[in-house]
Amino acid sequence: MQLKNTLTRYGAVAQLFHWVIVVLIITQFVLAKRAEGLSPVAKIGVLATHKSVGITILALALLRLAWRLCNPVPPVPANTPRWQERAAHVSHFLLYALLFITPVLGWLMSSARAFSVSYFGLFTLPDFIEPNRATYERLHDFHEAMALTLAAIATIHLASALKHHFFDRDDVLRRMLPLFGRAPPAD
Amino acid sequence: MRKHRQFVQLLFLVLVCGSVALAATQWTLQPRESKLTFVGTQAGAEFEGTFERFTADIKFDPQDLAGSRFDVKIDPASVNTRDSERDDTLKSEDLFNAKQFPTARYVAERFAAKGGSKFTATGKLTLRNVTRDVPIEFTFEKKDGSAWLKGSAQLKRLDFGVGQGDWKDTSTVANEVKVNFVLLLKQ
Repeated sequence: MQLKNTLTRYGAVAQLFHWVIVVLIITQFVLAKRAEGLSPVAKIGVLATHKSVGITILALALLRLAWRLCNPVPPVPANTPRWQERAAHVSHFLLYALLFITPVLGWLMSSARAFSVSYFGLFTLPDFIEPNRATYERLHDFHEAMALTLAAIATIHLASALKHHFFDRDDVLRRMLPLFGRAPPAD
Repeated sequence: MRKHRQFVQLLFLVLVCGSVALAATQWTLQPRESKLTFVGTQAGAEFEGTFERFTADIKFDPQDLAGSRFDVKIDPASVNTRDSERDDTLKSEDLFNAKQFPTARYVAERFAAKGGSKFTATGKLTLRNVTRDVPIEFTFEKKDGSAWLKGSAQLKRLDFGVGQGDWKDTSTVANEVKVNFVLLLKQ
């Protein structure tokens, strides 16, 4: 198994980071939506899971960024228009940025509500700000806005990958897909 | 006859002086410097609350433990956990039910010395209309005309019915609660 990236394909580690984070992000939206109509007790439980998953995403994002900095990055296909190449870089940068900003806002928001974040009941994260209802409301709005922005960019990102695969017929999607994208064995 | 009367007067005087000397000191609580707090656990994360209104009738003398007595009255509606929604929930029917049970009370009459300034007491706590034994440990340090009484107790909220219906669930709010007190007393 190829763990590191090559210039033509993402390695297994990068792929694992990518798809695990995709699943976790979807989970976060599902949990946040589910928490909305719940009774106080049930809501506490669902939000506790949402927070723990959020911190997991934050930790994975950090590791993933470190991994990316130590790996070659497969370039855009030849003949890609400049505006598309720039759009790709900007959107990837924003996705990384939002993977940090969104959970950090969630963490701060919880502290502002005098509710420390417990990681799956194993340990409690420090509170970096004092309880303050007004701050909490602002952070809540900001956290939601960033989450929705992330969803919007991720949707464009997904649409672009599908465009590359079905219209351009290049290997952009395939090189991030485990198994299906593997080059045929050389024999 | 005269000698008999003198003897009775002397005996009376001795008894009065003796009982005054033997009575445990009556202390007056200094509310501004005193604190009654608790630590609960919600979805794995600890949170602290304070009771802003309480009175403490303290009679205490390390040399006269038999004559010592604590009588503390607490207003559960004065709970403050730095989040008004959580405070409202705590005061509600399923938890403190502050409307129906507006006073919690702790009375201790049995004390034991543990060496130095350390003591224990076994008193009765009446909370949400349930009375149970709750032992406390504390230190008592006198300086000039004041004394610091600092200590703690552990209790289980469900023992007192604090948590009805959905709130019985101890994964949402843990059963174990730690109570801490720091009282400044003046003679």
